[in-house]
Amino acid sequence: MNVKFNNRDPLYVQVIRHFKEQIAKGYFEPGQEIPSRRELANQLKINPNTAQRAYKEMEEQGLIFTEGNMPSCITKDDAVLKSVREELIIEAVDLFLGSIKSINVPLSEVLELVEKKYDAESGEAEESK
Amino acid sequence: MKSYLKLVHFEISRFFKLYLILIGLTVVSQLIGAVIVSKGYMSSAEKVMYANQLSVSKYIEQSAFSFSRFINSEWFVMPIVFCIAMLMIYVFFIWYRDWFGKNTFIYRLLMLPTERINIYFAKLTTIMLLVLGLITLQILLVPIEMQIVNGIVPADFRTNFPFYGIYDQEIWGFLYPNTPVGFILLYGIGLIFVAILFTSILFERSFGLKGIFCGIVYGMFSFGVLVAPLILAVSYTGYFYPLEIYLMELVTSIIVLGSAIWIANHLLKHKIRV
Amino acid sequence: MIEVKNVKKKYGRKQVLNGLSFTAKKGEITCLIGINGVGKTTIMKAIMALTPINSGEILIDGEKIRKESYDKITFIPDTITMLPQMKIAEAFAFMADFYKSWNPQRAEELLKFFKLDPTERIANLSKGNTAKVNMLLGLALDVDYLLMDEPFSGIDIFSREQIAEVFTSHLIEDRGVIITTHEINDIEHLIDRAVLIDEGEVLKDFSVEEVRENEGKSVVDVMREVYRR
Repeated sequence: MNVKFNNRDPLYVQVIRHFKEQIAKGYFEPGQEIPSRRELANQLKINPNTAQRAYKEMEEQGLIFTEGNMPSCITKDDAVLKSVREELIIEAVDLFLGSIKSINVPLSEVLELVEKKYDAESGEAEESK
Repeated sequence: MKSYLKLVHFEISRFFKLYLILIGLTVVSQLIGAVIVSKGYMSSAEKVMYANQLSVSKYIEQSAFSFSRFINSEWFVMPIVFCIAMLMIYVFFIWYRDWFGKNTFIYRLLMLPTERINIYFAKLTTIMLLVLGLITLQILLVPIEMQIVNGIVPADFRTNFPFYGIYDQEIWGFLYPNTPVGFILLYGIGLIFVAILFTSILFERSFGLKGIFCGIVYGMFSFGVLVAPLILAVSYTGYFYPLEIYLMELVTSIIVLGSAIWIANHLLKHKIRV
Repeated sequence: MIEVKNVKKKYGRKQVLNGLSFTAKKGEITCLIGINGVGKTTIMKAIMALTPINSGEILIDGEKIRKESYDKITFIPDTITMLPQMKIAEAFAFMADFYKSWNPQRAEELLKFFKLDPTERIANLSKGNTAKVNMLLGLALDVDYLLMDEPFSGIDIFSREQIAEVFTSHLIEDRGVIITTHEINDIEHLIDRAVLIDEGEVLKDFSVEEVRENEGKSVVDVMREVYRR
């Protein structure tokens, strides 16, 4: 795992976001074991207390769960998993809309462009494979 | 106690290579010297006897060979002087080497989980052991040197020189007082001197330039206290019994040594800086 | 907890520490930040009783430092504190001889981690490897508190990365760590608290996550504010 963190947002928030992205991408499967807080700190090169904080928050949000002394696992709750995906999509769209609105482009034009670009990039991705 | 012994061992092993060199130098110089001095005597004896047509008995009337001829030669004296000089330098170096140099070892020494005064005791012990070691070496060397000399110079040429005769020689008489009391006195005073020097060094290490001044004043004061009974003895000749002088000297020695240790302990604990 | 309370110290006429106070907790990494010459190293020496202070008080778990404390707290200065002619293995033997808290297994583990050869003489090590051995000698002690003076300065990038890795590992976990730096960038994500120091005084003492969370500022942002004043 190599993640670039910025210095201004709380690290634990960035760690949680990183986990959400991994879940949305399907990199983490429901019920999959995740690294211990120490392993995570070591992998991400962050303070172990921060990793601890991130896990605590994620546990409270129901993203992960821990049974007894077992290692923590990604939740199996479909509703939560779905909401993670939605959350990320909505966030991205919001961000996108924000920048589009600031340059006053009509929605139809934007959508057309989006479709065109998206297809082209997917095509490229296919070819490069 | 355990850390003290470990520190002594450690300090000795740090000096050991140089020490072996000192030992080697002494042994080589004195053994070679014994050969050269006696051979030199024999060849000059033969020359003189031949030139003047002297018999052995006539010749030795003027210049018989005595072992002291060797003992007073530079072959014998120089290595001793050199060893003394080296050890005197090491009295300073044993401390300063821990501060200077790329790796400041004094950090480690001062951070050992043991009373810091043990470092002082260990260094003091080391110096004393090094001195006593060389003294012992010399005692062992003399009989060997006598054998060498006796092997080269025939008995006819030699004045009788028993091993104990060596105490009559100046340098030897100084280094080896021939009574236990004298021995303890000499090396006891030596120990006190080293302790005073160590404490002066710690003054310098604690207070820098100001410390040099403190160290010198302290050293002179301690020296003054130490010799006070002797001055009394000299200026009031016959007023005190020798035993009284001796006891006074003992008391002042204990006071001076005790205060050197006490001050060193205080400096090491509260004032030293790295 | 290490408590530094209103410590003042003069070197000649120069006031090096001017009523400096902060605390460092166990299980946290506290970073003393300031340009060179503001007294960071002096604080560490003062904590270890390697230099006297003029006034104030320093407590380690509520006690003044004693000889037993050196099995509980250790200091890794920016130069190695072993004799250059020693081999690494001999340095280990020395440590084992004197410290109850020396942990030989951990020392071995670190030796492997840093890829060091125990038969090598300290004098012959590269700069980076010397720094690693220096680090190792402190880390292999089972102490509660570790003080490190500029562990990242003057060494190559790979050695830096390796040493940084130590900070996120079990070698540091649950211990209290104080480290000094004049270059925060490398370790911004590793520390819990930052103590900004200038001219022997604490200008600001804060939790880096809290400042990121509440003010959206990085350590460097805070430094800019504080030092520009």
